[in-house]
Amino acid sequence: MRVSNSLFTNNFLAQINQLQQQQIQLQNQATTGLKISLPEDDPAGINQVLDLQTQAAANTQYQSNITQLQGAATTAATAMNSLQTIVEQAGEIATEANGTTTSSQLANYATQVGTLIQEALQTANTQDAQGHYIFGGTIDSQPPFVATTDSSGNVQAVNYQGNTEVSESQIGPGQTVSAQIPGANTTGSGPAGLLADSRSGADLFRDLISLQQNLISGNTAAIASTDNPNLTTDENNLVSGIAANGVLQSTLESASTAATQLGASLTTQTSNLTSADLTTTLTQLDQTQTAFQAALQSGEMIMNLSILNYIQ
Amino acid sequence: MLGLFGTLDLASRSLATQQEGTAVAGQNMANVNNPAYARQQLNVQTSAPLDTTAGEEGTGDDVVSITEVRDSLLDSQIQSENSATGSFTAQQSALQNAEAYLGEQITNTSGASAASANGLAAKLSNLFNSFSSLTTGAGDPAAVVQSAQEVATQFNQVSANLSQVQSNLNTSIQNDVASSNQDLSDIAGLNQQIVLAEAGGGTANDLVDTREQTIENLASMANISATAQADGSVDISIGGVPMVTGGSAVNGLQTYDGGGGQLLIQDENSGTTLAVTGGSIGGSITARDGALAGLQTSLDTLASQLITQVNNTYSAGYDAAGGTGQPFFTGAGAADIGVNSALVSDPTQFQASSAPGAGGDTQIALALANLATQDNPALGNQSLTQSYAQTVSNLGNAINTATDQLNTSQAISTTLANQRSTESGVSIDEEMTNLMQFQKAYQASAQLVTTLNAMMEIVIDMDDPIST
Repeated sequence: MRVSNSLFTNNFLAQINQLQQQQIQLQNQATTGLKISLPEDDPAGINQVLDLQTQAAANTQYQSNITQLQGAATTAATAMNSLQTIVEQAGEIATEANGTTTSSQLANYATQVGTLIQEALQTANTQDAQGHYIFGGTIDSQPPFVATTDSSGNVQAVNYQGNTEVSESQIGPGQTVSAQIPGANTTGSGPAGLLADSRSGADLFRDLISLQQNLISGNTAAIASTDNPNLTTDENNLVSGIAANGVLQSTLESASTAATQLGASLTTQTSNLTSADLTTTLTQLDQTQTAFQAALQSGEMIMNLSILNYIQ
Repeated sequence: MLGLFGTLDLASRSLATQQEGTAVAGQNMANVNNPAYARQQLNVQTSAPLDTTAGEEGTGDDVVSITEVRDSLLDSQIQSENSATGSFTAQQSALQNAEAYLGEQITNTSGASAASANGLAAKLSNLFNSFSSLTTGAGDPAAVVQSAQEVATQFNQVSANLSQVQSNLNTSIQNDVASSNQDLSDIAGLNQQIVLAEAGGGTANDLVDTREQTIENLASMANISATAQADGSVDISIGGVPMVTGGSAVNGLQTYDGGGGQLLIQDENSGTTLAVTGGSIGGSITARDGALAGLQTSLDTLASQLITQVNNTYSAGYDAAGGTGQPFFTGAGAADIGVNSALVSDPTQFQASSAPGAGGDTQIALALANLATQDNPALGNQSLTQSYAQTVSNLGNAINTATDQLNTSQAISTTLANQRSTESGVSIDEEMTNLMQFQKAYQASAQLVTTLNAMMEIVIDMDDPIST
């Protein structure tokens, strides 16, 4: 085979070029620690990476939602516990009133119940950190419970102006919960009303007002036969609400744990797809550099040989 | 017999031949680095012998011709491989441009896994997550509107950039067409000169080298068919239509608008469409109308589905003031998608609720968030983000295909170039050796002249009775 000058130099340049390209690629991998950077590096891989990053971002959002809802559930639990205390106190008064005959004592009790009604009203109109009323169902921009008072300053009726709708929030892939509670539900269907529900017969404000009125009028018989049992029903209804809140908090806790685990799994999967094995990369880089040096050295040796060196 | 003067003539013609030889060696060495050059060789033949009574007597040598060593089969293989390389280079370059503009690049993000954080995938994900944040009642509609604007802007930018890539390809096609027409006219001119030069006998080596270089340059722009004619000219046709016949450029290439500003090729004379399938012109057209157009279409479909799905869900929602029926996105495709400007100025008009007057109702926001995972028949039963990831993956595959084809073609080109170099390339060592050969021969012939001169002096002196 005949060898011309250009044959050797062209081959030499092509080999040097290829080795330099390999070096650049490996050096890039070693620096970034990534084996995929652009779609062309691994078309199937990048499809998976984009999917994983979408899942990971959604997972982070779920965790944020869960934290938010946990706060809301805690706020609701605190308010519900206060209401339960109020109902228990009213029940004690109702029981004691049965054996009391002194009108001044009854009047005293009536005043105490009046205070309980105000506390209950205030608690029932609790707002969260964003200023939303938490016991109005999905109507959260106005107080759910509104009182009308008579000429003596006693509350004569409390009306519920919330609704019985609740909204679902996302806490996981395909998983939602609601942290909203209607204060009252007289429709006979839908989520249970916290303070009043036609299915259980509970209606806390009606019963507190009735107790106060009966105390004022001295009707201890009505207190014993109606108010006391009603207040028991009210407390049971409230306790169901507290239990449901407990279930909600437990669901949120599980969802949070699951999200943490999912997050870790997604991180591992992504790393498997994208991380360059540093040992392999550095070894290959070393080999390439050795080959590059050898090519340059041998090229120099050959290029220096020519018949012109020997002709006088 | 030759006699003294005959032999002197033999010697002088030999001197001329050896001089010619050194000139050819010099020519070869001077052009050692000229990539278009094919080595030339001196063809020497014994001159016509003289009939004598003692038989035939040789009369020295004559230079018959100076020819170049060239393999025309290799030349035509190189032309056709140039077309392939030109085409794949153009395709790879266009698609890599599109990949850069698409902006999906995986980088290390601090405190989190490696991800492509700045592309459309991340922005779509942000949008749906912002809808999700509204479902807890603590989300911020202003943040939702912001992430929607980022999605819209990304669509607009990528779409505009891809259009720019297509437009650049069109410009490059026009430039290549102008270059090709120039090459065609150069080839015709060279044909004329070569025919004239070879009419008197011999080969116009240097003109042939230049013409071959021009043809190979043309081949890298468009797939051509080159046919050698008996008179030494080469006819060129493109797509079956004759472009150069003998010494005339009878036709040329022309661009025309194939619709939507996309340039295609026709011939100048009759306006017949030419299918240019190779070279950088062919490659640019293939990339522009194939993978790039497909990418642009996918993005438009994705944007259009996003607009439709979101608006259908959103317009049924109610905002805090009880307003309803407004769209969320405006526009029809990737180039013009935008966010409802009324919503941008006043994000509190976000219609999150499924009923009026219920501020805690975020069911519409939930439905919007669920669009992220909903399978869409118009997107091959994939979700919006899955469909986009597939589009990105498809582009990666297209680039890899072009790169593989380019690498193969370049390997073939290298092999062919090496073969040509072996055949036609200059070797300094060889030329130096030849030079020394001719030098020695020249010395020998010069010595012959000296000897003959001395002999002739003796003869002349023989006639002079006066000198001693």
